[in-house]
Amino acid sequence: MLSIKDLKASIEDGTQILKGINLEVKPGEVHAIMGPNGSGKSTLSKVIMGHPAYHVDGGSVELDGKNLLEMEISERANSGLFISTQYPTEIPGVNNVEFLKMALNSKRNYLGFPEIGDDEFKKLCEEKMELLEMDDRYRDRGVNEGYSGGEKKRNEILQMAILDPKVSFLDETDSGLDIDALRIVANGINHIMSPEKAVILVTHYQRLLDYIKPTYVHVLRHGKIILSGGPELALKLEEQGYDWIEEK
Amino acid sequence: MDSMNKVSLAQSRIQAIGMPRRNNELWTFFPVAKIPAASATNFATDSATASDAVSIPSTFEISAEKDFAALLPIAKNAHTMVRNIADGESEMALIKANNDFGHTVLNIGKNARVSLEILDNKVIHELAAERFDVCVDEGADVEIFFANPANELPLRFRHFRIVQAANSTVRFSSIERGNGISRVSIDDFLRGSGARFEMRTLNILNGDSSSHHRLTIYHEAPETTSVQFARNLLDGHANASYDGSVIVNPDCTKTYSSQLVNTILLSEDSSVSVKPVLKIYHDDVECTHGNTCGELDADQMFYLVSRGIPPESAKKMLIRSFAKELFYPLPDSPAKKRLLQVLE
Ligand SMILES: Nc1ncnc2c1ncn2[C@@H]1O[C@H](COP(=O)(O)OP(=O)(O)OP(=O)(O)O)[C@@H](O)[C@H]1O
Ligand SMILES: [Mg+2]
Repeated sequence: MLSIKDLKASIEDGTQILKGINLEVKPGEVHAIMGPNGSGKSTLSKVIMGHPAYHVDGGSVELDGKNLLEMEISERANSGLFISTQYPTEIPGVNNVEFLKMALNSKRNYLGFPEIGDDEFKKLCEEKMELLEMDDRYRDRGVNEGYSGGEKKRNEILQMAILDPKVSFLDETDSGLDIDALRIVANGINHIMSPEKAVILVTHYQRLLDYIKPTYVHVLRHGKIILSGGPELALKLEEQGYDWIEEK
Repeated sequence: MDSMNKVSLAQSRIQAIGMPRRNNELWTFFPVAKIPAASATNFATDSATASDAVSIPSTFEISAEKDFAALLPIAKNAHTMVRNIADGESEMALIKANNDFGHTVLNIGKNARVSLEILDNKVIHELAAERFDVCVDEGADVEIFFANPANELPLRFRHFRIVQAANSTVRFSSIERGNGISRVSIDDFLRGSGARFEMRTLNILNGDSSSHHRLTIYHEAPETTSVQFARNLLDGHANASYDGSVIVNPDCTKTYSSQLVNTILLSEDSSVSVKPVLKIYHDDVECTHGNTCGELDADQMFYLVSRGIPPESAKKMLIRSFAKELFYPLPDSPAKKRLLQVLE
């Protein structure tokens, strides 16, 4: 469903960060991407979403056969792509719930559905907030405004739960979460997951993968996926780090 | 001083200081060439006799006045409306000038609580000028606000001379979104300890409109506070300027003053000028000023559109939140309600 082929992207000064990424994601799969700091994991998520800081030098990204690279960012999202950034942006003054509703209605509008009613939205919101054990603080404040690192991550998963995307790219959603929050968020992700959907998890730690079983584990280094394997690869990386890979 | 004196005094004072010029520090950023000299200085000779006799507060100091805009309504023999609000009273009032030139005197008693909305005079010819003299007694709490509708104002001056006694609070809040040229000038005198002045102004400008603020805040007693907060959203060829001076007298310990101007330029041709001036004659004071200017925050834009919100809607959301944020800190009051409602 998500097909990334030979994707190359650079930043404004011409430095190439992604040097030919290939990734094939099918419905029902969970892909974990690991790799040392600065290898290009976050860049990959932002490039497929169309972040203006990056220039695509070559390659293709397709979602269900549609070329994402030619779409507006909002269209990519409304077509079913969701990315959770490593450092969610604060938007003071834009109420979190109003934002969620606006986002959901944009998607419904794009897909030709009528706007969601107030009651129905309220119900949906409450249900998902309960799933993620979130309290009213998330309702009253601005988007991520003054949220702690962990609260921001939880708010990202709330958005994912409400927007119900086909493919979610979650960038270090586990970092900053305490032990209970990790369990809650991971359960939330499992709950949203279904055989028609797919999740890509960027993580540095095995512990998230204890909760969410990956179908594949990939190692990204210097802008390329240099090794792929099953869940056991994550365990090996946790024990031995990344250096052995290049020696191979 | 009788009324005839005040008119002729203002006229001769204008003669003495001359018409506003660029090199006059009170008019640095103002397009002075746009002031129609004829209508501004053509004073009717018999005007003085038509004036109503009003007792003038000693705080007027016309003969020392330096701002042309403060003198003009008086020199034009504007009808003076006086409103006295007794000690301890609570009052909500609307003020509206019915002529091109207006003069309002407000005497606000001890511990009074007052909310004043200034409405626009929609039938203006070439030039409109209003002056407000606000005398605030001890412990009074006053809000003054206006949100000008987006109409065709050719050229408008509003001058405020505010004198505050101990422990009084004045909150001045405004939204400018007219199509013409507007200048607001404020001289605020913090004369008693514990006095506090807050000003929040938002300029939402487009086309060739421009909005200019010139403030001087005189901290003349210890433990006084002034807060200035201006935000500009400028599109088209719009231009905004902010000229804010803070003067802290000797012996004014524990003065606090802040000034912050945030501008978002929505077009290539819009512009902003900011001039902060601090004259501090004491050590034990905290004065800050800041000035930011930029476009809409790219990360915030990305975040909104990456959740499926179309770019135009995302832009509107960010603009609206930037604008509304300015007034969130106001206490719940008619001013807050009205200003936020205007921004919906
Ligand atoms: N907008 C940018 N401007 C400049 N350099 C950038 C930009 N985006 C990414 N880079 C650089 O590209 C490289 C990859 O960054 P990226 O954030 O994708 O790494 P990462 O794999 O997510 O690392 P981490 O594990 O630390 O999150 C880094 O060297 C980073 O400094
Ligand atoms: Mg990263």
